[in-house]
Amino acid sequence: MTDHSAPSSNVQQVSGWSALPNSVRVTLLRLIALALIVLTLSLTSEAFLTSNNVLNVLRQTALLFLLASGLTIVILTAGLDLSVGANIGLSACLAATIIKSTGSISLALLAGMGSGFLIGLINGGLIAFLRIPPFIATYGMLWILHGVTYWFMGGETIHGFPADFRAIGSGYLWGIPIPVFLMLAFLLVGMIFLQRTRWGQDIYSVGANREAARLSGIPVNSRLVLAYVMSGLMAGLASLIFLARLNSAEGDIGEAMTLPAIAAVLIGGTSLFGGVGTITGTLIGALILTLVLNGMNLLSINASWQPLVTGVIVIAAVYFDNLSNKGDK
Amino acid sequence: MRVADSSAGFIRQLQKGNSVGASLLLLVLCLLFTVFSENFTSAPNLINIVKQSTILLLLALPMTLIILSEGIDLSMGALLTLANVVLASLVIKFGVLWPAFLLVLILCAFFGWANGLIISKLHIPPFVATLGTLGIAQGGALLVTDGQSVVGIPPEILYFYSGEWMGMAMPFWIAIVACAVFHVLLSHTPWGNHVIALGGNREALTLAGIKADWVLISVYVLSGVMCAIAAVLLTARISSGHPTAALGMEFDAIAAVALGGTSFEKGKGWLWGTVIGVLAVGVLRNGLNLMGVPSAVQVAAIGILVILALMVDGLRDKQND
Amino acid sequence: MSELTPVLELRGISKGFVGVQALDDVSFELHRGEVHILLGENGAGKSTLMKILCGAYKTDAGEFFYEGKAVKIAKPSDAKTYGIAVIFQEFTLVPHLSVAQNIFLGREAKGRWTGLLDQASMRSQAQQILDELDMAIDPDAELVSLGVAQQQMVEIAKALSQNAQILVLDEPTASLSDKETAKLFEMIAKLKSRGVAMVYISHRMAEVFSIGDRITVLRDGRKVASRFPAETNQDELVSLMVGKRVDLAYARTFEAQASQLALQVENLHAPSGVKGVSLEVRVGEIVGLAGLVGSGRTELARAIFGADPVSSGRVKIFGQLQDGGPLRAIELGAALIPESRKSQGLALILSCAHNITMASLKRLFPSGWFVPSKNLEQSIALIKRLRVATPGAHQLVQFLSGGNQQKIVISKWLSAEARFFIFDEPTRGIDVGAKAEIFSLIDGLVKQGAAVLMISSELSEIVKVCDRAYVMRDGLIAGELKRQEISEESILALGVQDARG
Repeated sequence: MTDHSAPSSNVQQVSGWSALPNSVRVTLLRLIALALIVLTLSLTSEAFLTSNNVLNVLRQTALLFLLASGLTIVILTAGLDLSVGANIGLSACLAATIIKSTGSISLALLAGMGSGFLIGLINGGLIAFLRIPPFIATYGMLWILHGVTYWFMGGETIHGFPADFRAIGSGYLWGIPIPVFLMLAFLLVGMIFLQRTRWGQDIYSVGANREAARLSGIPVNSRLVLAYVMSGLMAGLASLIFLARLNSAEGDIGEAMTLPAIAAVLIGGTSLFGGVGTITGTLIGALILTLVLNGMNLLSINASWQPLVTGVIVIAAVYFDNLSNKGDK
Repeated sequence: MRVADSSAGFIRQLQKGNSVGASLLLLVLCLLFTVFSENFTSAPNLINIVKQSTILLLLALPMTLIILSEGIDLSMGALLTLANVVLASLVIKFGVLWPAFLLVLILCAFFGWANGLIISKLHIPPFVATLGTLGIAQGGALLVTDGQSVVGIPPEILYFYSGEWMGMAMPFWIAIVACAVFHVLLSHTPWGNHVIALGGNREALTLAGIKADWVLISVYVLSGVMCAIAAVLLTARISSGHPTAALGMEFDAIAAVALGGTSFEKGKGWLWGTVIGVLAVGVLRNGLNLMGVPSAVQVAAIGILVILALMVDGLRDKQND
Repeated sequence: MSELTPVLELRGISKGFVGVQALDDVSFELHRGEVHILLGENGAGKSTLMKILCGAYKTDAGEFFYEGKAVKIAKPSDAKTYGIAVIFQEFTLVPHLSVAQNIFLGREAKGRWTGLLDQASMRSQAQQILDELDMAIDPDAELVSLGVAQQQMVEIAKALSQNAQILVLDEPTASLSDKETAKLFEMIAKLKSRGVAMVYISHRMAEVFSIGDRITVLRDGRKVASRFPAETNQDELVSLMVGKRVDLAYARTFEAQASQLALQVENLHAPSGVKGVSLEVRVGEIVGLAGLVGSGRTELARAIFGADPVSSGRVKIFGQLQDGGPLRAIELGAALIPESRKSQGLALILSCAHNITMASLKRLFPSGWFVPSKNLEQSIALIKRLRVATPGAHQLVQFLSGGNQQKIVISKWLSAEARFFIFDEPTRGIDVGAKAEIFSLIDGLVKQGAAVLMISSELSEIVKVCDRAYVMRDGLIAGELKRQEISEESILALGVQDARG
């Protein structure tokens, strides 16, 4: 007798590992990987667990995470932002110029964040309203921003910022390095946004099925612009911290951060196809990446290996997620 | 409507509007530069454009096939860089080009094979897979050179970029041969049909008894081979091996392909559009150079124009729907 | 005419997967020049049987006989050897290759010396096949330039060019118009006269009786009956498929009452293909929207809902002007349950709970603060109310059956407190038993004060369920039928234009 209101007999009894929802599995796997890495490093390098190194790792992670957090939201919508590195470049150079010319730190902060915001807005506009594929739009923006930055800086370097400004990178708040404080703060903000606001829920809907979201009354264009604005804003914030730590600014600053940021998001379990992923995952991804690179430094492994190792980790992370997903079907 | 890629349908293709954006762009640029710069239309300058664009063309041609098959290859620039430094080092060691080239060819083909393998057997999306191998190639280039340039290339090598044959610059011949080979491959071999099928309906291939994985891997291997060939030109051009020589060039290649009308999805596209796209980028850079525009702004201009050209195509598509 | 020895016979075929016995001791005969209809619900085993026939699956038990001799069919090349070809619903065609290139995919003609494509030879061979089958298709045409029906023809030509003697057709008329279906049947008749044997999978009773020579019904992996069309009727077949007496004509009490206008459309024009439509729907009514494929019904629905742009005319929902997009329509109390629920109605990789509240987040969480427990509560309530079969609200929608997925879509709109529902082919892809449940759901909606506009291509559904019906033709309303006037004939009469062939 086929009774269509009862669950089909195909559903097998699952228990243990397979019974966990996939998002939990993904996070657990990564936490285990993280633990293993920390363990290995503590055992193989004496310098690893020193407070100096730990703080260093945390600051690095913080910078990477802040950039990657905005990117996470964009990738959740099945989009991409290749312009974040160039965003950092322009925003940092703008802020640097303002400090040098006006001496006002608050104005510089405003400029940096404002520039990031505006770039995100333009990206969002191109992608949502002009329907340009995110890959192309943000890639085009990357070039444009580079060009503007280079032209603006005229090939020169600005350095030497007031101590108050540099405190953003090296200072402490309540005993925690400021970048780390910001990292934790934005982790919280990100989690709240994605899991506890309806705009965050909309982001997942848009990424999972844009047309279905539109037909359900979700203002898709607004949400897309929101995502890219967030990515831009976080790049703006990251640029300020970067500037503070580097204490100098030139045309190509931040260029090299785009790919590691994308890597951190992917390592963290967010899917390029949209609709799947968490901010926590991105934090763990950023941690894993930073720890591995830090470990390599401590073990005096030639820095030239770093891009290579990053590449391998990204492939491995996605591969294991695929395996884990297959288990569901 | 005739099938894309038939050489007889060249004009018809242009009319179909697939590359209207790029063609218009090229036309506008040429006109602008002719007006604003005396030297633009001079023979030496035009030759220069072709020479400089050839390296990009050698990357953009296989990139067209990869995008046709619904994939993407972000590692091309890094691979070209790796090939450049390895070739430079080996040429200095051997003193002669051919053994060095052979080894580099094997290296690049292997790399392409690895790309294809990761995508087809490990089921990693091409974007992620080639993002990963980009890092691997980049790391490789750094390791081989220890971050330094490799100098001391025997001058014979320079022939490939600066030399001539029958009155035309060598790169020009290389470009012609490359275009011809790719055209034959895509439009006149079963393999070409299979590549289009890979992007259009992969199951159709499998059901027809063709190993789709092998077709995919072969496309990436071809891309690797082209990087090896491009490395010869690049090495000749900069007469050295440099660890960041061509990083980022894959984006230029992708831009050229996109400008040329190959859609990123569903296996629709054609090679001549890519050629136009490559020329558009080349003309722009050259023209702006002549006008004394700083390289930074050139870069910005390319970005704006890519976006504009795509908008034109997008609007046209909407009208045609 | 069938001969005595079947061209293909299957005996005792069984096939199991983990946890499921897909086929259990199924036997089946196919004769030359015969159309053998395979009936069964989703999950009855039809697609497994198809896959076994084309060698994609290996059987656990059972034998094959080709023209009386025992043979093995365990891989695709075996099936090809015996001339078996399957025409799937998703075509095995490549959009941007030509017709000829598609037909010869994997078997391309090559020049003897060069290994290059011999385009001319492929073109002429393709032309030959197309001519033999009376198909007016240009072998050089790009596949994507052809309509769905023609593409299907190319698919058939492809199979026949490989000397298929046995064709398996999987719901071939699913996306064809009546005219195209007629052409397909002509083709089938031609193939019959050439001695080709066909297995025809369908659930459309009209077809079963018009072209079937023999009928086999599968249920739960077993063969429950084999009949000749002359000895059976629709009701018997349906009850054989479902395993119990199913009251298709479930009693709907038509209560005549003048009531509030839910929808008013005044001379609506839309670039998508609406050319001046006026109609109305009142609370408590189920109004049908019939018409041939391509008559503009989905376009009208989307224009009303605001999913597609409108060029002129007015739409009023519960008296208020619909002057915006989907968001505005939803504010006014409208809902759209689209034709392709998987691509337009649901986010498959997200949970039931997420999908159910997708259109009502603003209403449930006006401050913007999202409370997961409240979300869950709301979802569970609706899952219970509509009796959705799912292990839980967290279950990803992609794992639900078609009928249950449809219920999730409906839940989404109930959560949004919609009072006017536009259903576009509500029972497409849903089992016969579940169909009745969907209809009683819809009936329940209107009894509780909602209004429904229902697009359907199943004329019998419209006849049984609708208070009134509009029939569309070429983007216009060809006519309106009151309850007593609704019949399959009257709908067809309005939907078909006499002049066209």
